[in-house]
Amino acid sequence: MARKLFFLGLILGALTAFFAAAPLSAQQKPPLVVGAIFVGSVNDYGYNRSMKDGLDEMAHAIPGLKLLEAENVPETAESERIMEGMIQQGAKLIFATSFGHQQFAFNLAKTHPDVYFEHAGGWMMSHNFGNFFGATQSAWYPMGVAAGKMTKSNTLGFVVGVPIGYAIGNVNAFEMGARSVNPKAVTRVVVTGGWSDKAKEAAATNALIDQGADVVTMHVDSPATIIQTAESRGVYSIGFQSITAAQLAPKGWITGLGFTWGPFMTGIAKSVIAGTFKPAFVREGLGQMMAIAPFGAAVPPDVRTLVMASADQVEKGFNPFTGPVTDNTGAVRIPAGQSWGGDKMGNFDWYVDGVIGKAK
Amino acid sequence: MNSALLIGVVASSVMSGTSLLYATIGEIVGERAGIVNLGLEGIMLIGAATGFAATALTGDAYLGVAAAALAGTAVNLIFAYLVIGRHANQLATGLTLMFFGLGLSALIGRPFLGTLIAGLPKLRLLGLGIMGNPLLSFDVLVYLAVPAAVLVWWLLFRTTWGLGLRAVGENPVAAVAAGLSPSRLQYQALGLAGLLGGIAGAHLSLAVTMTWAEGMTAGRGFIAIALVIFAKWNPLWAIAGALLFGGAESLQLQLQAAGADVSPFIMNMVPYLLTLAVLIAWGWRRQGAAPAALGRNFVGVE
Repeated sequence: MARKLFFLGLILGALTAFFAAAPLSAQQKPPLVVGAIFVGSVNDYGYNRSMKDGLDEMAHAIPGLKLLEAENVPETAESERIMEGMIQQGAKLIFATSFGHQQFAFNLAKTHPDVYFEHAGGWMMSHNFGNFFGATQSAWYPMGVAAGKMTKSNTLGFVVGVPIGYAIGNVNAFEMGARSVNPKAVTRVVVTGGWSDKAKEAAATNALIDQGADVVTMHVDSPATIIQTAESRGVYSIGFQSITAAQLAPKGWITGLGFTWGPFMTGIAKSVIAGTFKPAFVREGLGQMMAIAPFGAAVPPDVRTLVMASADQVEKGFNPFTGPVTDNTGAVRIPAGQSWGGDKMGNFDWYVDGVIGKAK
Repeated sequence: MNSALLIGVVASSVMSGTSLLYATIGEIVGERAGIVNLGLEGIMLIGAATGFAATALTGDAYLGVAAAALAGTAVNLIFAYLVIGRHANQLATGLTLMFFGLGLSALIGRPFLGTLIAGLPKLRLLGLGIMGNPLLSFDVLVYLAVPAAVLVWWLLFRTTWGLGLRAVGENPVAAVAAGLSPSRLQYQALGLAGLLGGIAGAHLSLAVTMTWAEGMTAGRGFIAIALVIFAKWNPLWAIAGALLFGGAESLQLQLQAAGADVSPFIMNMVPYLLTLAVLIAWGWRRQGAAPAALGRNFVGVE
C-alpha cells in the first residue's frame, strides 16, 4: 500500500513538474502580430504584389513576427469587419493597402487606440494612424524620358483607372519627361473608370494603339492585361506597380516603376514593437519607396543612360512641376517661380500641354 | 472617322459584344420557358474561371471552352432543380446563384491567378475575318456567335421542341393539356442556358483578356438580362443589342483615345445610358412581349 502511494506521489509530482515547466517551453509569443488587407489578389504582377513583397520583407527582417493577410478585400464596410477580425486575433499593426480602405481603417483607429494603422495613398492622420505612399509623380518623369526616346510614332498611350489627382499627376510628369527629350511626343489618355476591369483595360489599350500609340503605360492595379495586349499588338510597354511585370512582355518591355515598401514597413513594425510609433505623412520617391525596373532587351544603351541620369536627378530633388507650366488648353497653371510640392500632388485636375484628354 | 479608327471600333465592338450575345441568347432560352435567371452573372463567372483553369492545366483553350460550357450547364441545373423541383422563388434564387457563382469562381480561379495562357487562337484561315483584314480576324467563338443566335432562333421558332418550350413559358396549363411536361422542358432550357452562359464567360477569360480576376465580368451578366428585354425575347434582335452595347463601350474608349472633349466620367456612362434610353424608347410597345408565365412557378394542374 505504501509503495503504491509512493509511486502515485512520484507520478503526480512528475506531472506537476511537467505542466509547470510546459509554459516555459511552449511556443514563443510573437514580438508583433501584423494584419494586412489587399484590395485584389497578390498574384496580379502589380500593386498588390508589391505590397505583399514589402510585407514579406518586413516579416523576414523581424524573426517570429506573425503576419495575417486577407486578399480581395473590397473597399467597403466589409474591410472594417475583416480588419476588426485581425485585431481580435491580436494584431497591433494594420496595413490598409488600398486607397478605398482609408475611412474604414480610420474608424477602427478611433475605437482601438492601442492598435496602429498605416494606410497607403490617402491623407488621414491621427495619433495611431499614419499615411504612406510612393512619391510617384516625379518618378514618372524618367519613364517619360524612356518613352519619348523609344517612340517612333511620337504618340504615347496612358490607361488610367480612376482619374484622381495623383493619377493625373503621374500622366503629367510622364508627358513632361517625354517632351524633355522629344518635343513632338504627345500622350493620349483613356480612363476605364475602375482600378481593375480587365476587359475594359484590354479594349482601352487597343483603342490607344488604334490611335497610333506605340508605347503604352498605365495607372491601374495590375499592369498585366495592358502589357499583354500591347505585346500581342507588337507595341512597347512601360510597367507600373511591380517590377515583376517585365516577364509579360519579352519583346516590348522598356522599363517600369515599382514600389519597394519593405524598408519602410520594417521600420514601422520596429517602432511599434519599441513603442516609438509616430504618425507621419510619408511620401518617398525613387531610391527609397520606388525603384526603376530592369530595362528590356529592346532598349539601346544610350537610352538607358539617359533614363538613369534623369532618375538620378529626381532622386537628388528635381521637381518637374516647377513653373511655368501650361495645361493642354493653354492656360498657365503653375506660374514661373512657383512649384508644386508633394502636398499638392492630389490637386491635379488638369493635364499638361501635350496630353490629349480631358481630366474631369 | 478614318479607316483605322473604324476598323478599331468594329474589332473592339465585336470582341466586347460576343460574350454578351452568348449570355443573352442563353437567357432568352430560359426566359422563353418561363424562368428568369438573375444569376447569369454567376454562371458567366463560373464559365470564365473554369475555362481559364482548364486552359491553364491542359494548355488547350478549346478544352477550356468545353469545360466552361459543362461547368455552366452543371451549375445552372442546380438552379433549375431549386426553381423547378423545389418551387423556390426565381428572383431570390437567381440572386443567390449570382453570389454563389462569385464565390465558386473565385475558389476555382484562385490557384491560377497570375498564370499566363496563350488563349483562343485568332483564326485567319479560309479567308475568315472581315474583308480579309488581319486586324479583323477573331477566335472561333466570335465566328460562331451569330450562327449560335440563329440556331437558337431556329430551335425556338422552327422546331416542335421550341414550340413546346414557348408554350410552357406562355401557359403551362395549356402545355400540360397538350401532353407536354413543363418541368422536363424547363430543365432542358436551363441546361442550354447554362451552356451558353458558360461559353460567354469563357470568351472573356480566354479571348478578350486572357487572364482571370475575381468578378471580372463586371456586371455584364446583368447587361445581358436587360438586353433580353431589348431584344423582345428574340435571339435575332439580341445580335443587334449585343453589338449596340459592345459598340457603345468600345466607341467611348476609342473616343477618349481620340481626344474627345467630354469628361471621362460621362464617357464611361455612355453604354449604360444608351441601353437605358433604348429600353425606355422601345418599352412603350413592349407590353405583352414577355412570355406570359415568366417568373411564375408552375406547381401543377388540378
